[in-house]
Amino acid sequence: MFKELDPLLHSQLRLAVISILIGVKEAEFTFIKEKTGATAGNLSVQVQKLKDAGYIDVVKTFKDNYPNTVCFITPTGRTAFENYVANLQSYLNTKK
Amino acid sequence: MEKKPMTEQESLQLITDMINKTKASFHETGFGPIMWGAVITICGILSYIKEVNGFSLGFDHWLLVFIALIPQIWYNIKQSHKIKAKTYNDIALDYTWIAYGISIGIIVFVINGIGFDLTNNFPNYKNVRGDFRFSNHYTGFYLIIYGIPTFITGGIMKFKPMIFGGIACWVLALISIYTNYKYDMLFTAIAATLAWLIPGILINNMYRKSKSANV
Repeated sequence: MFKELDPLLHSQLRLAVISILIGVKEAEFTFIKEKTGATAGNLSVQVQKLKDAGYIDVVKTFKDNYPNTVCFITPTGRTAFENYVANLQSYLNTKK
Repeated sequence: MEKKPMTEQESLQLITDMINKTKASFHETGFGPIMWGAVITICGILSYIKEVNGFSLGFDHWLLVFIALIPQIWYNIKQSHKIKAKTYNDIALDYTWIAYGISIGIIVFVINGIGFDLTNNFPNYKNVRGDFRFSNHYTGFYLIIYGIPTFITGGIMKFKPMIFGGIACWVLALISIYTNYKYDMLFTAIAATLAWLIPGILINNMYRKSKSANV
């Protein structure tokens, strides 16, 4: 019996954001934007969805007198990502 | 990034791509290893020449170490503005080198304390030449300490030249026990070259290559 893939993570941009954050302690919004190639507007919306779900945390600070948004993954987000990958692997193993 | 539905393979590929892209954001320039490697190598060689030929610059050249702190602090501040993501490796390396800095500071303090005690408690100690003299035997401690963060950094960064550099420091520490103390500062210079200067230059080359590849 397969568990359904987490719909929140089964979206290209949100999955990309979580995949970046899983490997770092924290990342600036501009870093995520650069790596994903997404527009600022679209990325903001997806980041907010992940934040609302408690998967990531967002801290707004200032850097060199400019607003700076820093994102990091929460323990809930880490667990959700691990479950997502485990479910993905079980799907792929069955298809072999 | 498109909003089309993903297959399981595409999801897995996306995760792999993003993790690799994050890893590829190489920001280590090698500035620290090159600068400290050069400073300690120069100071070590000057001390060796002083020991062998009696040549002196007229001031304690080890003060260069304190002067070198200025560009290091300037560089750290500059880098903190540039770095957009902090990895767990970055944090582990920060703590390792902070621990190293504190350890070196304490070792200098302890060794000076021992020297002070010997000088004050043994009136003839100042005149001891050729026999046991504490100051001629403590280089090994420094070399052991040099090796620890270098070896750990090499391991975390998966960078073999630094792993070998760390081992070289420990081997030189062992050799220093069996050789005349006048070579100790030469060993310090060799250790700094192998542990920091050469790996630093290699890191800088990698940084330049990764930068030109991203242009």
